[in-house]
Amino acid sequence: MARQGNKLDSKKVNSEMFTLTYGALVSQLMKDYDNVEDVNKQLDRMGYNIGIRLIEDFLARTQSTRCQDFKETAEKIQLGFRIYLGISPNISNWSASGDEFSLIFETNPMLEFVELPDNCTNLKYCNVLTGVLRGACEMIQLDITSKFIQDQLKGDNVTELRVKFIKTIQDAIPAGED
Amino acid sequence: MAVCVAIVNRSNAPKYIACVNPDMELEFHYKVHTSLDVIEERLTSTGKSNTERQEFYLGILYSTEEHTIYGYVTNTRTKIMIITDTSNKLLRDNEVRAMFRKLHSAYSHILCNPFYVPGDDIKSKYFEQVAKSVMVGG
Amino acid sequence: MTQALADEILLDLIHAEIVAYANGSPSDGEEKKDTDYSKIELMGFSCGYRIIERSTKDGARFKDELDTMKFICTELWAAIYKKPIDNLRTNYQGTYLLQDNSFRFLNKMSNGSQYLESAGKYVVFTCGLLRGALSNLGINAIVSMEINTMPVVKFHIQVSQPQN
Repeated sequence: MARQGNKLDSKKVNSEMFTLTYGALVSQLMKDYDNVEDVNKQLDRMGYNIGIRLIEDFLARTQSTRCQDFKETAEKIQLGFRIYLGISPNISNWSASGDEFSLIFETNPMLEFVELPDNCTNLKYCNVLTGVLRGACEMIQLDITSKFIQDQLKGDNVTELRVKFIKTIQDAIPAGED
Repeated sequence: MAVCVAIVNRSNAPKYIACVNPDMELEFHYKVHTSLDVIEERLTSTGKSNTERQEFYLGILYSTEEHTIYGYVTNTRTKIMIITDTSNKLLRDNEVRAMFRKLHSAYSHILCNPFYVPGDDIKSKYFEQVAKSVMVGG
Repeated sequence: MTQALADEILLDLIHAEIVAYANGSPSDGEEKKDTDYSKIELMGFSCGYRIIERSTKDGARFKDELDTMKFICTELWAAIYKKPIDNLRTNYQGTYLLQDNSFRFLNKMSNGSQYLESAGKYVVFTCGLLRGALSNLGINAIVSMEINTMPVVKFHIQVSQPQN
C-alpha cells in the first residue's frame, strides 16, 4: 500500500479534532439561537456536563487529595489545563480575601484557528470552560463561579478568566442539572 | 520575494489575490486566469496513468520577460500561485517551495476557522500576514 | 483496560455533548424531540472537510479514488480513531465498505442489544466526517452506517460521481 512520507501525529490530530469539533458546535449554536447570550449560556451548560465527568478522570489521573485552601484549588485547576489542553495559564490577581483569582491565558489550543466575525462581538467563544470549572468543582463540594473578563479574540493581549469561590457545599449529594 | 500570491479553489474561482503593487492587481488577475489552463493541462497529462503520488509543487507554469508564475495544487485541488519578477535570478527553487508550503499551511489553518465558510473569499488577518511575509521576505 | 490518554478524553466528551444536544431541544422548556441526526452529521461534515486539508498537507497528491480511500482508512482513521479500519472492501465501481470492529465512540458502551438502538447517534458524526473529508477531496458520496453487534460498525460509501 502506498504511504505518505510523514505519518500523521495522532496526538496532534486528536487535539485539532477537538478544536474543530468544538468550533463546529459553537457555529451550530450561533445558527440555532437568535440571542448570543443564549449561546454563551448553552456553552456553559455543556461545559458543566463535561466538568462533572472530567473531574473523575482528573482525580484518578492525579491521585489528588482534598484541597486545603482555595489557593491549592487554583493550582489544581492550573494542573488540569496542563493535562488536558497542554497549557499553563498564570494564576494572578488574588483578591485580598483570597476568594477570587484570575487565570491568565496567553495561548489556548481551542482558539488556534478562530477569527471572530464582526457580528459575534458578544460571543464568549470559550465559555464552555466556565461550565467545566463549575461542574468539576461542584463534584468536590466547591461552589464556584467564573467569567471571562478579557478575551484575545476581541483584541485583548491575554484572555483572563476570573474565578470566584462562593461556598463549600455541605450536602455531599450534588444537585443534578439537565 | 514574490510580487503576487493567489489562491484559487477547485472550481477555478479565485478566493484570494494579493500583490505588492496594488496598481498591478488587474494584470495579475489576468495572469492567474491564464495559468489555470496550464495547471489543468499539467494535471490531466499526468492524471490518469499515475502509478505514484505526484508532488503538489508544479514548478514554473510559464514565464514572460517580466514575470514568472509558479504553481502548486493540493489534494483538495486548491491551486496556489506565486508570481515573481523574472529579473529576480536570486530566487532558488527551494525558496519557492518553502513559500508554497507556508501558504498551504496558512490556507489549511484559516480553513479550520469555524466562522470561515468554505468557498467564501479569504478575508483572514492571519492569512494576510502570511501572504505579506511571502511577498516581503520570501 | 488502561486509562485513555488525556488528549483523547476531550474529544470523547465534546462528541457526547453534541449527541446530547441534538438529542434534546434547542432551547429550554420545550419538549424532547427525536434526535436530530442531520445536525450531528453536518457538524461531522464540517470537521471532516476542514481536517482533511491539514492532514494531507505534508504528503503528495493521491493517485486516484482508491488511493484516497486507503489514506482515509489507514492514516486518518488511525490518527482519529486510534486504530486503522479493520477491513476495506470495494467493488471498484464506487462502492466501498469500511469495517471498524471496535469503534471508538461505541467501545465504552455496554455490548447489550438494548444499546444497539441508540448506537446510531454515536456513529452519525463520523458518517458526516467521512462525507466531508471526501467532499473536499472532490469525491461526492453518500455515507451510511450499519451496526449489528456492538461495537462493530460498517460504513457504506457510495460515490455518486466519478472523481473529476
